[in-house]
Amino acid sequence: MPELDRREFLKLVGVGAGAAAAAGCSERVEHLIPYVVQPEVMTPGIAIYYASTCRECPAACGLHVRTREGRPVKLEGNPEHPVSKGSLCARGQVSIGRTYHPDRYTTPMSRGADGKLAPVSWEEAIRTLADKLRQGAAGAALLGGDPGPTASQVLDRWVAAVGASGRVVYEPFAQESLREAVKTLFGVESEPVFDLSQADLVLSFGSDFMETGPSPNEHMRQLAEARDVRAKEHGGARFVYLGPRLSMTASNADEWIPSKPGTEGILALAVLRAAMDSGLTADRTALGGLLDGVDAARAAARTGVDAKTIQRLGAAVARAKSLVALPPTAGLSSRRASATAAAVLLLDHAAGAVARTVLLPAETERTKRPSYHELLALVDAMKSGKVSVLLVHDANPVHSMPPGTGFREALAKVPFLVSFAPIKDETSEQAHLVLPDLTPLESWGDASPRPGVRSLLQPTIRPLYGTRAMVDVLLEAGRSLGDEVAAKLPPGNMRSILETAWAGEDFRKALARGGSFAASLPTHEHVALSSAVAKLEVSEPLLEGEGDYVLLAHPSPLLGDGRSAALPWMQEVPDPVTKVTWNSWVELSHATARRLGVEIGDVLALKTAAGTLEVQAFPRGGIRDDVVAVAVGQGHTVGWYASHEMEGRPGEARGVNVIAALPAAVDEAGGRAWFTTKVQLAKTGRSEPFAVSQTQDNQRDRSIGAALPLAALAAGAAAPAEAVPAAPEHGARGGEESAYQEEIHVPFDPVLDAAQNSPYRWGMTIDVDRCTGCSACVAACYIENNSPIVGEDQVRWGRLMAWLRIERWVGDGVVEDIPGWPRERNHEELGKVDIRHTPMMCQQCGAAPCEPVCPVFATYHNPEGLNGMVYNRCIGTRYCSNNCPYKVRRFNWYDFSLENWPKPLHLMLNPDVTVRAQGVMEKCTYCTQRIEIARQPAKDQKRLIRDGEVITACAQACPTQAITFGNLKDPESNVSKKRQEPVRGYVALQGLNTRPATLYLAKVVRGPVEG
Amino acid sequence: MTPPPAMSVAAMMRPPTQAPESPANRDLLAVMGRPSLYYWLLLIFLVVFVHAVGAVWLFQVYKGLGIAGYKHPVFWGVYIVTFVFWVGIAHAGTLISAILYLFRSKWRNAINRSAEAMTVFAVLTAAQFLGIHVGRIWKSYFILPYPNQRGLWVNFKSPLVWDTFAISTYATISILFLFVGLIPDIAIARDRSTGWRRLLYTALSFGWVGTAKQWKAFNRAVLHLSGLATPLVLSVHSVVSWDFAMSIVPTWHSTIFAPYFVAGAIFSGFAMVLTVMIPVRRIFALEAYITEYHLENMARFILLTSLIVGYSYGMEFFMAWYSGSEFERSAWWYRAFGDYWISAWVMISCNAIFPNILWFKWARTNVTILFIVSVLVNIGMWFERYVIIVIGLSHEFNPDVWNHYLPSLPELTILAGSFAFFAMFFVIFIKLFPVVAIAEVKELVIHEKAHHGGGAVAHGEMH
Amino acid sequence: MPTLVGVFSQAAPVAALARRLRDRGFGDLEVYSPVPAHELDAALDEKPSRVRLWTLIGGLTGMVTGFVMTIWMSYDFPITVGGKALASIPPYVVISFELTILFGGVLTVLGFFWVGGLPYGRFGKPDATYSPRFSAEDFGLVVRCEDRDVAEVDGLFRAHDAKEVTLVEA
Repeated sequence: MPELDRREFLKLVGVGAGAAAAAGCSERVEHLIPYVVQPEVMTPGIAIYYASTCRECPAACGLHVRTREGRPVKLEGNPEHPVSKGSLCARGQVSIGRTYHPDRYTTPMSRGADGKLAPVSWEEAIRTLADKLRQGAAGAALLGGDPGPTASQVLDRWVAAVGASGRVVYEPFAQESLREAVKTLFGVESEPVFDLSQADLVLSFGSDFMETGPSPNEHMRQLAEARDVRAKEHGGARFVYLGPRLSMTASNADEWIPSKPGTEGILALAVLRAAMDSGLTADRTALGGLLDGVDAARAAARTGVDAKTIQRLGAAVARAKSLVALPPTAGLSSRRASATAAAVLLLDHAAGAVARTVLLPAETERTKRPSYHELLALVDAMKSGKVSVLLVHDANPVHSMPPGTGFREALAKVPFLVSFAPIKDETSEQAHLVLPDLTPLESWGDASPRPGVRSLLQPTIRPLYGTRAMVDVLLEAGRSLGDEVAAKLPPGNMRSILETAWAGEDFRKALARGGSFAASLPTHEHVALSSAVAKLEVSEPLLEGEGDYVLLAHPSPLLGDGRSAALPWMQEVPDPVTKVTWNSWVELSHATARRLGVEIGDVLALKTAAGTLEVQAFPRGGIRDDVVAVAVGQGHTVGWYASHEMEGRPGEARGVNVIAALPAAVDEAGGRAWFTTKVQLAKTGRSEPFAVSQTQDNQRDRSIGAALPLAALAAGAAAPAEAVPAAPEHGARGGEESAYQEEIHVPFDPVLDAAQNSPYRWGMTIDVDRCTGCSACVAACYIENNSPIVGEDQVRWGRLMAWLRIERWVGDGVVEDIPGWPRERNHEELGKVDIRHTPMMCQQCGAAPCEPVCPVFATYHNPEGLNGMVYNRCIGTRYCSNNCPYKVRRFNWYDFSLENWPKPLHLMLNPDVTVRAQGVMEKCTYCTQRIEIARQPAKDQKRLIRDGEVITACAQACPTQAITFGNLKDPESNVSKKRQEPVRGYVALQGLNTRPATLYLAKVVRGPVEG
Repeated sequence: MTPPPAMSVAAMMRPPTQAPESPANRDLLAVMGRPSLYYWLLLIFLVVFVHAVGAVWLFQVYKGLGIAGYKHPVFWGVYIVTFVFWVGIAHAGTLISAILYLFRSKWRNAINRSAEAMTVFAVLTAAQFLGIHVGRIWKSYFILPYPNQRGLWVNFKSPLVWDTFAISTYATISILFLFVGLIPDIAIARDRSTGWRRLLYTALSFGWVGTAKQWKAFNRAVLHLSGLATPLVLSVHSVVSWDFAMSIVPTWHSTIFAPYFVAGAIFSGFAMVLTVMIPVRRIFALEAYITEYHLENMARFILLTSLIVGYSYGMEFFMAWYSGSEFERSAWWYRAFGDYWISAWVMISCNAIFPNILWFKWARTNVTILFIVSVLVNIGMWFERYVIIVIGLSHEFNPDVWNHYLPSLPELTILAGSFAFFAMFFVIFIKLFPVVAIAEVKELVIHEKAHHGGGAVAHGEMH
Repeated sequence: MPTLVGVFSQAAPVAALARRLRDRGFGDLEVYSPVPAHELDAALDEKPSRVRLWTLIGGLTGMVTGFVMTIWMSYDFPITVGGKALASIPPYVVISFELTILFGGVLTVLGFFWVGGLPYGRFGKPDATYSPRFSAEDFGLVVRCEDRDVAEVDGLFRAHDAKEVTLVEA
């Protein structure tokens, strides 16, 4: 009875990861202990979701925390949340690892006589703190990130109650300049909110809004909506990036204008002037004499952008119905940051964007905001010994403060440092008392990224260790100081305080939704330019130091200000621009590299007034000759993953901390300035290879990441939609035949690749035009599928275990006669942007080359069209990988499953997915475990799985919904509809006729904006 | 009249005299004589080394294949290279024994025994590498179609299963071939040995006494085995080549692979026979039996196959260019001038250029030159497999993952170990069994006597 | 029963003598030969060797086994790979071919043992008529005959220039 045997087989090994997991255990016996008392609402094997909020960055995206048997195993975006609308960035995805991090403090620690931190009881710890406060509360100061409005108010009351000297909120990338600019322009207190979804022209003046800034995920989503080639005409909004470096954000632009860094303001005014010249109606009177003497030619000389371009931009602005011009983000915030921001916002205002696409929210609740000058004041106080007790929370100033501020010296003068860090970092390691806080997944709290959005945090797991919420600890310490202090403090604990703060609203409902969200953003009704505008001083950035180059310290999209460096996935997920892992690098142009005679990997010495860095060179075409760029975030000396402790070299910094080379500089508003110094480069003669995930960015015209010009799209749209995807024309190379078009390829219908009697043929579309390269999907895949992290050395050996990677192709590439020569691996060109971020995972081929070569049927075609991978049948001949043209298969060279989840990290393993053993092959399964989870209820209700019931981890995470997954046999399914793209649809390496289930939608080349 | 009684007849008979010993027996059995001190030292060294390498391999099994130099996407490395190399070596024996037997070319008699032995040992060595290569050797029996309660069978469409069948068949047949051929010689040894050797040879000779009936069955069996082994030897390396040709990897996916690999196998096989026999011939003073004439014939074969291999190299490049396929072209450019250009040129010079010296008779008849050439060819043929496998995988369809593989220390250790493993068997064999087929050599001698009325045989004219 | 063993240095006379003796009705002959000698095969019996039959049977069995096994297993455990047919004959030809050779070869060797009458004699001591010289370079002819024929056989031996003749009492 073959029929029965097939079922038998599917049960045994199958696509059903549950079964696979059970089978996977055969290697090591594991004991399943049933609940003695079964908690109600919890069914073993069924996930429970809790709504919460991500605290990894200030954007505060909404979360759905997927818990299994009382353990969070995956974070997903909360679709109801106005900020992220269901997506979640890479940093958010992996922030789950904080709770299970091996570096966590499990108990309070106190520095003993021997100068070492030793565990103490909470009682003792709190008593110690209270004693210190008694001795001199006036000398106590609080320093930390934004803990959310409620906690923030509690802290303020606490400071008042115990009579501490004060509290400083510290956010390294906080853009006070922006707020200052708004004040100068319109005389109102407000932090502008940019809405890109309605724009038809987006000008980014050095704003890397996809990597950092107010709300990366939200802006990526909005831009994707504005550029949706199906909904919008003529390819939707145009996106121009003006900045010195082809950042991840820039790589998604239609046009990259490599302007001189720091001159964005000058450029903005020049564009404004040009716009007015070409008919933009705005009243010059309000501007006073601001625009006098501003003209394209002069601006061109100062900004390095030729006059024609400026005029062209001006004309485009004049024509634009809805413009969004974004001021520089942290990386390019110079000493003139707020003037620059003001100039850019002025352009917005002149183009009528303000209050339409650039909203100025009216701020109601007054919570303390980040303030750099307050921090500097605190540092001075510390230096002068006025601070006797410093309490630090949610911040790592030792790492993130420039040496010029003398923070370290000042800290040395503080007799008693208290840290609330849940995970050890440079600051907490210097503390005299560590009172470990709970991680966000364990704690109550709230966040308010903008007025009208109140987002809630709720515990999704019982505290893993005996750690306590910072607020509760402070309250307890405060109360122990005496009744009059206690009286001034709010009653109860964080939870009850939170509930009272939400009085008047249904707290439970809010918890279920993830918070309470106003329908619309309360904004200032009418804003008029203040007279101060005329006095706006827009000038070049003031750069310190000597050197032919300027140093650009830009935020890394994966590490943020460095707080995510502790999470191994953020180290291992390749940087979206350079694909470097586990390390720092300095970007410099090919010309510069040639001048210095360095090649990729050669160590350079970067010398500034503030300090010297030694870091490996990464020559590329996508950066100005006069600029070198180093990402912020690495260079930690503490942490299992953040430093080299994992490799057995504790205390040794991983990469370099570029902040150590930055002067202590502030902008006009006293906000922190990042772009402030010149730098001298010198060759050290040493060289160390990078651990990169992508060895070539030249796709040699093989159309793995394909693109086509807007014209072709328009032409094709007229033609009737075909089920069979046609090979796309090439963007840059017009109608020219590409490698695979020369080869014959049989038209195919992927539906045929599933069993006749199966109602499903799972398939996917990936929209290269929407993919920004943000790598959220990669991170999501790591967490969902228990992919091990392997460390820098193994990555160097190409043993990265990611099932999903993002290939970053520069245009169609060139067919060099001799591959790999010249050795320059980077084919970008200054001022050219045609980057194709192409997510690459198993294509689930219908005629999969990997299948027939496996001697033991370990990989095979299942009736639903999936390319099954049976771990416990695999003997590891690795033939399948040789025969996979996409090279998406990974092999377990070691027993990664044992080595790569140091306790308690193993607690976060997804129980639905097998942990792969040594010596077996693995690959993307289209999240088959999620299909199985959806199958059961469908079976019970005697129906098919509905469209949208199965969402793969990558598709779920994607902020731009570039990935669509579903059943191809259902013509109404979202994915089937998406496949109907007349022109854009293409199959990677189509000439091989592997009949993939994944259809790519080619990037649309919209070209530079017309004048 | 009544015939005289038998006893009287017996009485008038001369008592049986001692049989004159055959010079062939004497000389060739001498090889198996008392081992010298050097022999023991060599043997001990080999055994110890093999075990040390075994330990390295066990460590790899325990730790994981990560200790080998594999770099994504190069998932096949030195182990498969060495596997193919030894399978290639294994081809000379059967070729000499079987095909030359069918062609009735008498000159094979002097070398076929050692060649057959080499075949067996080379196959054994090669087989080790299938196990060393796989990720989970403890599960490698999955590849056999054995009945099991899960009702699983194997994928007969997979070239690796073909491999399993081809290699095991080849091992079996070549062992049988070697053994059948040995029986008469074992009998000779039996009649002239004492002690444990006598017991051993008695058992292994199965009471062979060389009656007409036995010889008749023997001839027929050898004829049929040759008939079977000839297509087999051609098929085995074809199957091995299909491990590559059946895939879609540029530079692998090619129809000329089967003949090209078979030629290469014969090429390397003959080279290995020379590399081994030239020293053996010198050490055991077998110049009378393995003459320059034999060596020259081998050299001719090497030259021929070298030309075939060289032609294949050229043709592959031509096809890559002629196909116009970017994948093929770039892969071939990369092979010749990419990161691995050294290996590629070692291959080409050792296999297609140096052997051309054998066009000249003075070179063919110069033992030293022959030895050097044979060693070079062995090196070249190992690199050929390295070039095909490693470079092919380094430079496939998706440039995103192109990578540069280099063998790691454990891999090279195990590679070296394979030579020790092979040598160990051969060294033991030399002392246990006649390294030259005595009976067949004698056959020539006796026939010469019959035709030229006896006298010492001028081996030079043995054809 | 008396047994005469003649020792010769060449194969040809042995063959001739063997024929002669058989014509004279001495059927119980045995020949020892140090090397394969085709004239001797013919001299004793002309019939072609039976080994060929064994090879044929083995080969055919192997071929059939190959196809039956592969095809049956493909349907007994039906797994689609690479969008190919469950049982696709071309790849199975390889398996079938290898098994043809394997079975053929093994049966050939068994046939050789069976037809060649191996193992022969009582282990360790081949019968009295055999002597190591026959594994040197001498040929031997063994005749079992009645007492009365001894002289005649002896004469024939000498007539065919036997180096020497020995009477072994069997």
